[in-house]
Amino acid sequence: MSAPSQDQAPPAATTLRPTLEELRERKARSRQPVHGDREVLTVSMGPHHPSMHGVFRAEVDFDGEVIVATRPEIGNLHRGVEKLAESLTYHQVIPLTDRLHYVASFAQNHGYCEAVEKLIGMEAPPRARFIRTMAHEMTRISNHLLWLGIHIMDFGAITFQQICFREREYMMDMFEMLCGARLTHSYCRIGGVAKDLPDGFAERMYGALDFLPTRISEYERLIDKNRIFLGRAKDVGIFTSEDCAAWRVTGPALRAAGVARDLRKDEPYAAYPEIDFESAVEYEADVYARYRVRMREMRESVKIIRQCLENMPEGPVLAKDAAHVIPEKKDVMRSSAAMIQDFMQVFQGPQVPAGEVYRAVETPHGELGFHVVSDGSPKPQRLHIATPCFFHCQATTPMWEGEMLADVVGIFGSVDVCLGSCDR
Amino acid sequence: MVQANLDELSAALKTVQKELTSKFGKKLLETSTFRGELTLVVAPEDWIAVLTYCRDSETLGFDRLDCLFGNHYPERADQPFEVVANLTSIPNTTRVRIKTRLADGESLPTATGLWPSAGFDERETWEMFGVVFDGHPNLQRLLLISDFQGFPLRKDFPLEGLVGGRIRTDLKGKL
Repeated sequence: MSAPSQDQAPPAATTLRPTLEELRERKARSRQPVHGDREVLTVSMGPHHPSMHGVFRAEVDFDGEVIVATRPEIGNLHRGVEKLAESLTYHQVIPLTDRLHYVASFAQNHGYCEAVEKLIGMEAPPRARFIRTMAHEMTRISNHLLWLGIHIMDFGAITFQQICFREREYMMDMFEMLCGARLTHSYCRIGGVAKDLPDGFAERMYGALDFLPTRISEYERLIDKNRIFLGRAKDVGIFTSEDCAAWRVTGPALRAAGVARDLRKDEPYAAYPEIDFESAVEYEADVYARYRVRMREMRESVKIIRQCLENMPEGPVLAKDAAHVIPEKKDVMRSSAAMIQDFMQVFQGPQVPAGEVYRAVETPHGELGFHVVSDGSPKPQRLHIATPCFFHCQATTPMWEGEMLADVVGIFGSVDVCLGSCDR
Repeated sequence: MVQANLDELSAALKTVQKELTSKFGKKLLETSTFRGELTLVVAPEDWIAVLTYCRDSETLGFDRLDCLFGNHYPERADQPFEVVANLTSIPNTTRVRIKTRLADGESLPTATGLWPSAGFDERETWEMFGVVFDGHPNLQRLLLISDFQGFPLRKDFPLEGLVGGRIRTDLKGKL
């Protein structure tokens, strides 16, 4: 048999994509058979375990090193956000949403404000929409950097976390410049954002955008061809698109299974319709594909932030709507109308129509939905938060079954779970 | 209650509304629209039938249960509880909301057979509102401690105070 000639064109990308049947077969092959007749050892993993990404506890039944069954237990961080929200006005709920997912807090602020704005039937002014889009993508980069460092640490490379935190620190400094807070931003407001960009923000941001793509390439050089990582990530934790739909697994894990589902494109919000970007889709549905999706998303985020800065229109950052919006602090001190508006909004709350809406946004870890029920009073009658992490924790049961003990940590890390968001 | 104004629905949602109305007719007790979203109210006995049809129909294709949760309206004397399911179709990018209203103590069949992701949602709804889901594989407390008393998201449950939680009198003087 002759060797294939060098000038032969590589097969088209479509033929390399595994079909659903192939993925099912691969999944069945990668999982170990479970012997029902053998003795089962039950181990309690977590809640205080370095690999558990928060206070997550799972009771796991082992047959040797193979997982037979998993019973996830959550609730150690339950703070009753939904109950608390019923006693607060719509404005006062914003800081609570920060604490849902403290790694990507702007994304939670943004989702909540989009939901309330849909309920009211208002829209943020164009400049605010661009600032929101930019801040959301900054969150995505800093969240993925944290995830990447911790995820690679799960596989045993301790130093890598420090490298990722170097860039994440820069993004947190940018947030500090933007709104004064590094972790819990509370920057979004109903009808816009809290304040305009500070002087010199765009210049510093451009600096970050210049070095980020080279740093991402640097990470890829360290990880992409690392034999230890490839051996532990390829064909491990396969979770097909049908599994994702059944267990409501969303975000990068869904896109890694070949589904081009991205709410930024499917149900556009903020300034995303005016921005040119791709949603990253991979087809292998394993831990490695989820890693690839996130790396590509970071590059897309850099592109989105650059477009936001270049195309950002001038104008106000808060809607002119006295019935629903808290005015900017600098106006409150200078104009009597703004002071009255501030007083009414803080003491009385916004005048919201009766009705109910569901609004979901694409946060870094998946689709975050807010269901707001209003009876016409300034406080929500019911606020239900459908967080992606809640369902990702539940999906550990089918994801871990038949896998080896050593892979559990990598698989759990690959879906990116935050327990604050899970327990609410 | 908000009235149905079918004109504000998108073309895809209009087809969903037409198909469900032609299939279930009078079983859809109420149809309402708000901000371009479609809400349908069904009786508890039709709950699983409607959800199954939404999932299995080729044209509707609601392949994912986005969330399922409860709500409490103490002012409605006969049916104070509501269970809401938000369904999503990934290929059609449409959403629909199916609701049912329950009397105090009335139970609802579980949807875990349709979507396994309903497991946690139904456990949460039970522990927060006391709505029992018949046939649920593991209906236990999820977010709260296992011997918590009461259903905290009911409107008559107080926000503050030593209620619900366990007060360990047996440890007095031992700590």
